[in-house]
Amino acid sequence: MRIGIPRALLYYQYYPMWQTFFEELGAEVVVSPPTTQAMLAEGSARVVADTCLPVKAFLGHVLSLVEQCDRIFIPAIRSVKKNTCNCSKALGLPDMTKAVIPESPPILDIDIDINRGKRVLYQAIYKLGRHFTWNPFRVRRAATAAWQAYLNYRELMSSQGLTPRQTIEKLSDAPETKGEMSSSYPAPTRATIALIGHPYIIYDEYISHRLVRRLETAGIKILTPKMLTIEELESAITRLAGRAYWAYEEEIVGAGGHYLQSGADGVIGIMTFGCGPDSLMMDMVARRAARPQATPFMSLTLEEHTAEAGLVTRLEAFTDMIHRKKRRQGSR
Amino acid sequence: MEAYLGIDVGSVTTKLAVLDKNDELITHTYRLTQGKPIDMVQQGLVEIKEQLPENVDICGVATTGSARYLAGVVVGADLVKNEITSHAVAAMLHFPEVQTIIEIGGQDSKIIIIRDGVVTDFGMNTVCAAGTGSFLDHQAVRLNMSIEALSQRALDSRTPTRIAGRCGVFAESDMVHKQQVGHRIEDILYGLCQALVRNYLNNVGLGKEIKPPIVFQGGVAFNQAIVKAFQAELKAEIFVPPHHEIMGAIGAALLVHEEMESNGNDSKFRGFGVSGVKYHTSSFECKACPNLCEIAKLALDSQVIARWGGRCDLWERIPAEEVK
Repeated sequence: MRIGIPRALLYYQYYPMWQTFFEELGAEVVVSPPTTQAMLAEGSARVVADTCLPVKAFLGHVLSLVEQCDRIFIPAIRSVKKNTCNCSKALGLPDMTKAVIPESPPILDIDIDINRGKRVLYQAIYKLGRHFTWNPFRVRRAATAAWQAYLNYRELMSSQGLTPRQTIEKLSDAPETKGEMSSSYPAPTRATIALIGHPYIIYDEYISHRLVRRLETAGIKILTPKMLTIEELESAITRLAGRAYWAYEEEIVGAGGHYLQSGADGVIGIMTFGCGPDSLMMDMVARRAARPQATPFMSLTLEEHTAEAGLVTRLEAFTDMIHRKKRRQGSR
Repeated sequence: MEAYLGIDVGSVTTKLAVLDKNDELITHTYRLTQGKPIDMVQQGLVEIKEQLPENVDICGVATTGSARYLAGVVVGADLVKNEITSHAVAAMLHFPEVQTIIEIGGQDSKIIIIRDGVVTDFGMNTVCAAGTGSFLDHQAVRLNMSIEALSQRALDSRTPTRIAGRCGVFAESDMVHKQQVGHRIEDILYGLCQALVRNYLNNVGLGKEIKPPIVFQGGVAFNQAIVKAFQAELKAEIFVPPHHEIMGAIGAALLVHEEMESNGNDSKFRGFGVSGVKYHTSSFECKACPNLCEIAKLALDSQVIARWGGRCDLWERIPAEEVK
């Protein structure tokens, strides 16, 4: 059986885990190609106008997998930690996809809800595994291997400062894709900037307008939330928000709080137009950044707009601000 | 005599400024872009050349503004700088103590926060251009008065009306409504100025710590009524520099002076002769991948000298045989 996985949303978080799980159970995994203008346009055409950009892109990826696979894997991630919530679109993702893309191959879904405890989680995993085997021990083995693959993936990213794509390539021994954002900086590093936001925005080159590469070309070393350890992220959330409310809050509040305090010359927050939780979380970071003597902070809202002038001007001004500030401090 | 040229090609106006090596303004021009940035840069250069003394030697050229890359290729710029950095540097030349810069131009507005002579924060308007020069221009045309007259009439207001400033379309329908029920035009105009100031402070200035001294620059600073409305709203004195409309160009010239002194290079300026050269621009849709980027190209006598606009750099690298 060929399982399609859209290269969007939580792909960047969990792909090695999902891939391992399905392959251990004897399935073949097919991933959609990187986002393009056409995919986004096709995805957008299926939903009401105020749907957020990442979901539009996600649906475009699903459309590109139609007829490429026998099943599409779309999990409904309700919570990833006790007492946190995920956004409503993430909760209803399999159902929404079914409703707006009727031609989609049958959807394999799984409810991940850590709020309801381990027992419910294990039941959900067995239920998913039953599509492939009736042997619960095989499902259990696949799940354990998948979890191990996930931990390796996280470890590699945070210890070596790699992007998800580089890490995935490394794990699968595939040749490195040419032209991908690199961790070898072409220009001598003049400053370090932390990008905070969800990986499906930062690492999707189409949605982010090649943000990482633009900054790297300008001699900026990039830091991202995935390069921090879970402990660092959690302690920053405690400092800024007390306790996390949203799933993946660590990618914005945690990473923002951490980098505003140490490690970066500047922090850029990236969110997409129409994201409710992000606008709340980014504001928490912006308030912290508004304190006197804080690390410079700027937030960028990306949308379907193809004009990049506004983005480029802001990035240039932000990096200039940091360079001039550093130079001034150096000359004192 | 050593001199540095700054060129600011904005969406509505094109500004050129020449500074000497002591950063004193020698000459400048200010003209409407009229949708033809290259022509206007060329015409501006002709005008500058006529005004400059014989012995002036241009030792560095910088471009800024939304057409900075295009203008930079046309004139052979040594530095291409964003307008935020340029405006900040220019304001600090006139007011070293400045802490807040309000800049409102034809299509965009910015706020720049400066502490101890360093930019610490900035903001720019998003897609909405309500409250910028173009909107005021449009209102002046609608009321059949010059933009100067609009500012003067607004200053005569005694009981300004409330105008909704959130959105340009709503502001206009509000103005029409107020005029139809019999409010005086002066009061409506000053009400509009107040609305634009509120809109600016609530949008661009949101979350920014606005501390005096405050400098107001850009073309809209010509409008005394807006200056008055800012003063009333911020309860602080607003300084408008003498050449507020060309501050971007002055800043660019200052930055290129600094740059050339530190690297010691010779200028890449193509000379005032470029005003006679025929440049040609065109665009096409790249079909190399499904992204279908719109690529713009600039040609000099059928030779392509620059291309941009792609999401990748496929077209930005120009093969040597094409350049010759």
